[in-house]
Amino acid sequence: MAPVLPLVLPLQSRIRLAQGLWLLSWLLALAGVLTLLCSGHLLVQLQYLGTFLAPSCPFSSLPQVALAAGAVALGTGLGGAGASRASLDAARYPPWRGILGPLLVAGTAGGGGLLVFALGLALGLPVSLDKGLEEGLGTALVHYKDTEVPGHCHAKRIMDELQLRHHCCGRHGYKDWFGVQWVSNRYLDPSDQEVVNRIQSNVEGLYLTDGVPFSCCNPHSPRPCLQSQLSDPYAHPLFDPRQPNLNLWAQGCHQVLLDHLQSLASTLGSILAVTFLLQALVLLGLRYLQTALEGLGGVIDAEGEAQGYLFPGGLKDMLKTAWLQGGVAHRAAPEKTPPEEVPPKEDLPEA
Amino acid sequence: MALLKVKFDQKKRVKLAQGLWLMNWLSVLAGIILFSLGLFLKIELRKRSDVMNNSESHFVPNSLIGVGILSCVFNSLTGKICYDALDPAKYAKWKPWLKPYLAICVLFNVALFLVALCCFLLRGSLESTLAQGLKNGMKYYRDTDTPGRCFMKKTMDLLQIEFKCCGNSGFRDWFEIQWISNRYLDLSSKEVKDRIKSNVDGRYLVDGVPFSCCNPSSPRPCIQYQLTNNSAHYSYDHQTEELNLWLHGCRAALLSYYGSLMNSMGAATLLVWLFEVTITVGLRYLHTALEGVSNPEDPECETEGWLLEKSIPETWKAFLESLKKLGKGNQVEAEGADAGQAPEAG
Repeated sequence: MAPVLPLVLPLQSRIRLAQGLWLLSWLLALAGVLTLLCSGHLLVQLQYLGTFLAPSCPFSSLPQVALAAGAVALGTGLGGAGASRASLDAARYPPWRGILGPLLVAGTAGGGGLLVFALGLALGLPVSLDKGLEEGLGTALVHYKDTEVPGHCHAKRIMDELQLRHHCCGRHGYKDWFGVQWVSNRYLDPSDQEVVNRIQSNVEGLYLTDGVPFSCCNPHSPRPCLQSQLSDPYAHPLFDPRQPNLNLWAQGCHQVLLDHLQSLASTLGSILAVTFLLQALVLLGLRYLQTALEGLGGVIDAEGEAQGYLFPGGLKDMLKTAWLQGGVAHRAAPEKTPPEEVPPKEDLPEA
Repeated sequence: MALLKVKFDQKKRVKLAQGLWLMNWLSVLAGIILFSLGLFLKIELRKRSDVMNNSESHFVPNSLIGVGILSCVFNSLTGKICYDALDPAKYAKWKPWLKPYLAICVLFNVALFLVALCCFLLRGSLESTLAQGLKNGMKYYRDTDTPGRCFMKKTMDLLQIEFKCCGNSGFRDWFEIQWISNRYLDLSSKEVKDRIKSNVDGRYLVDGVPFSCCNPSSPRPCIQYQLTNNSAHYSYDHQTEELNLWLHGCRAALLSYYGSLMNSMGAATLLVWLFEVTITVGLRYLHTALEGVSNPEDPECETEGWLLEKSIPETWKAFLESLKKLGKGNQVEAEGADAGQAPEAG
């Protein structure tokens, strides 16, 4: 049975491998903590911005998967640090011999799987944000007036706070407010002829005005905010609606939220990629260390040369042994590990 | 009769020195925290100096910064002394300086306590600065064309949105000033002319407020104009309406913000002060214990440490005596000098 990707490891190389692995494991733990923090931040942002995303949008699953992946990366990092530290000390290594095997399997299958999944989500989900935001913001605009309806009574406050905080107005511009009824019927005087005219002027019987809520106002404007009669050039002195002015916020909330969430997702994605790389390196190094020390029979300080390898035999031999032993669990591991191992292998001979 | 005597053998002395060394380095960290707290308060005061008439007192943050730096310096020095205290050779060079150094430490602790008190007590000066500054801010709200004041509108609007407040003590303050610039008034309209003629100063006063006073939690779209006229709006009663605008005045909101900031900084300073007092007491015990060692040439012996060699009234009497002697000594020298000069002249 020829071992897969063997590497000869004399005592000095083993020591250097263990030391390098210790450093990488702590870096992996740090990357895991960063992933946890970043996905926690995204989760908190989504709690507050989630009302502007359509419920069917799958974006909210990204921070949860990233949290799990970060936790597993942290665990792998801490375990790797402990194992590499113990491998330098003959007295501390024996209890780690038993743990190392399951740790490697859990790290590769669980951690690797979760990280790949999270990375895929971070790359693919922002595409669905566009549609989700379109629907979500549209619903928020329509429900702005429903401050008495249970389930939507906070829509006004949340929409106002969004426009105040993110400096935006409407979906793609302030004219979106002209197409929805944002004044509740409760505050419309049914005996006022002007109100009746407006309601009768459109098919759906909505009270539409060419005005916007106060939260669209831009404090940088030199004049007090003009919120009503925005399409009538003669309603306000010195006001020309065709001229770009500072009166209201110019950008729409759709673009602002899209940029915001996409930048958060791409930051999370880059941190996940770095964590994935570090995890692959740590797991590879641990495997080589484990097999080299097993070759010496678990004796750390032996001066002899040991051979480290990834797998004791080729794929076919491994499957045969696994089938003969009746261990079904081994079948999952070899199918996942070969693709990731070839590129980083060049780094190891330097250790 | 020494004050608060404690017996120290070699091991206890070593442990005291090591413990003090650790506490001193923790105290350096506390000093850095005090420094950053002072810096933070200074930046926060600067950020809003526009509404404080640019005349706010920076005494509290400056003193926090100073005390933080002094604490770092003194505590690292004390840490070095405690480290050297374990080695008799190195300690010998510090010995003559320890008594004056302890006096300086006591003075520093008193200063630290005074700074902590200031954090709690100096709120009052802020109130009058804020009242004046906000009044000016509202007065210059409309002067967006005047250089030097063109930013006041933006500052007031952002302040009212962020602190959820309106006007100086309430929204009615806006009724008393003209906050709409003449540039945007249609001076040919009869209504505008009536309003301007209706008061002595010829100002355009409205019972309306800027948009930044609006409360997003209100169930109805914000009513900004004709606030005292119930018939101008459907189903509106200005006396019972509470959610439409922010009810608090900005003076109270800013005061409570800065007040809570200074209270928490005062509490942190008090904690650091307690820590510093413990360190000074420990250093005094170490000093007196090591003083007892150097008399017999036996480092392993048991000595006593105390806070004051005699009881408090006796120490005070001795201190006054030494002051008098110092004064008398100068007098004798002066008389001697005069007597020396007189025979020469004569």
